Amino acid sequence: MNPKPRLGHEHLGLGVGLRSVHFRHILNHFPKVDWFEIISENYIDSQGRPRYVLDQIAERYPVVMHGVSMSIGSTDPLDIDYLKKLKRLAGQIQARWISDHVCWTGVAGKNTHDLLPIPYNERTLKHVVERIQAVQEILERPLILEDPSSYVTFADSTMPEWEFVSRMADEANCGLLLDVNNVYVSSVNHDFVPEDYIRNLPHHRVVQIHLAGHTNMGTHCIDTHDGQVIDPVWKLYRLAHELTGGVSTLLEWDAKIPDFQTVHAEVLKAKRYIQPDVDSQLIESIEPEVTVSAEAVPHPLHFVSPDVE
Amino acid sequence: MQPEKSDRELSVIQKWMQSVISDPSGIVSGIQSDGSQQQIPLSPEQIEQVITRSEACTSIERLQVYGNAYFARLLDCLRSFFPALTKTLGEELFDSFSIEYLQKHPSSSYTLHKLANHYVEFLTSTKPVNAQSDEPVWEDFLIELATFEWNIDKVFDGLGHEKMSILSSEQLTKIAPDQWAEARLETSPSLTLLSFEFPINNFYTNYRQNEELLPPSPQKSYLALARRNYVVRRIPQTHLQYELLLRLQSGDTVGQAIGHIADLTDDWETLSAQLQGWFRQFAEEELFMKVHLPD
Repeated sequence: MNPKPRLGHEHLGLGVGLRSVHFRHILNHFPKVDWFEIISENYIDSQGRPRYVLDQIAERYPVVMHGVSMSIGSTDPLDIDYLKKLKRLAGQIQARWISDHVCWTGVAGKNTHDLLPIPYNERTLKHVVERIQAVQEILERPLILEDPSSYVTFADSTMPEWEFVSRMADEANCGLLLDVNNVYVSSVNHDFVPEDYIRNLPHHRVVQIHLAGHTNMGTHCIDTHDGQVIDPVWKLYRLAHELTGGVSTLLEWDAKIPDFQTVHAEVLKAKRYIQPDVDSQLIESIEPEVTVSAEAVPHPLHFVSPDVE
Repeated sequence: MQPEKSDRELSVIQKWMQSVISDPSGIVSGIQSDGSQQQIPLSPEQIEQVITRSEACTSIERLQVYGNAYFARLLDCLRSFFPALTKTLGEELFDSFSIEYLQKHPSSSYTLHKLANHYVEFLTSTKPVNAQSDEPVWEDFLIELATFEWNIDKVFDGLGHEKMSILSSEQLTKIAPDQWAEARLETSPSLTLLSFEFPINNFYTNYRQNEELLPPSPQKSYLALARRNYVVRRIPQTHLQYELLLRLQSGDTVGQAIGHIADLTDDWETLSAQLQGWFRQFAEEELFMKVHLPD
């Protein structure tokens, strides 16, 4: 029997990452957006405005929960309290799925709040698969995991990331969140061909795609989520669309965030890149600008600042 | 990729990497630190035994991306919790304090909302010995400003009364006079009462209005923070109002609370003339949820 595409999840269309700078606009206008993705940690404990806004949005739009603290690759014990909170919120807002990253965020009781890579080998694969299975038992649903952007590789790795991620998904029976910008960033940083990565994934397990901007530092790229999606990434998106048959797509914009219409317009560009007769000129790679900046921070965290009178 | 096969445990690599990237003096210092050497004893020159290089970057340059990000990300978070304190101290000095704080109190939670849980305590512990006078000094002001800003964050995202019924000023006036003294008023869950040695609320108003931030002279001040429609409201109080609310919040009856503040003033006549207005004002500020009357 052929496996169901997207693990059976629906194709939600083109969505936007919910950020607090857009709260007022969204509540005032309820714009025509296919769906929203939230940063889970900003809402699982909230008893204030963030949760209030989320409830309003969840009544009107499909919502997906995307986390940054599961630390599925860590050797510390899983945080059961955190997982229970994820599950509770997912039930309350009827989240379509729960995702996080193939990474670790801390060890020895500490949290760096970064998405740190792990070596890719048989031992780490077994470790991660076991933890995914444990998480899925608690959440009572398949976990969806995103390929991280990364800046180092390990001498202890014995397989490429795409192989690790593919085997992980098959063995743990989980879904994949394919971040095509991360694939591009990591391909520059680790000298691999990004198309090879995307071609070798189990495409029926790809439930969602992420798009974002990054910063090209000349010698490497940093996943800054602070601008438009560049043409080479759109090209990868088109490839991923062809191979998966089309999946829910979401734009992340976490620093120098423009107004809501600009963010929404950026993800709507995806429609152009998945037309069957798309002009090849449209996706000819344009070399991204090189920025030399000491301030570039990978995947900046998004905070909700208090409203005070 | 040319892997150097090894039997290193994942936990060892993770503890090593965390120690390296969170060293405030940089990656080379991190590799040489005791914490890292205990996990994987190697010199910076031997780093490729753990982290491979790319065509364009050395292993240390690659690790530096994480090293730069560790403090940058967490400092950004702390600055967002304490914007007025950051402006008062200047970003450089605030960051210097905060890097020291992060070394003593690294995050141990899935959420960044707890990152500054010990910040006020940390500032207090770093107060210089020569600042330990009976008179409030500059360092006390900074500690109070941090206390104020941290409480704003807690009130903003903590439990509020938006989905609860409130006790209106009209309902308050309907309480029978013979039951008034024994009545207990349940306060809003968001009500947070603060007393300061400095005019912290005025200073914060100046900060919000982008006015020049001059070091204030000591002046006792009292403040109620409460949330309405998910917005934190700052409600200045007099000393006696503050004490009255504090007693009501702790569960005292109205009679007990009034008795307490009566002991704090020599001018009972003025106080008694003010009380009715104060209770009406508290109710209009939505500080009371319900009244518990004696049986």
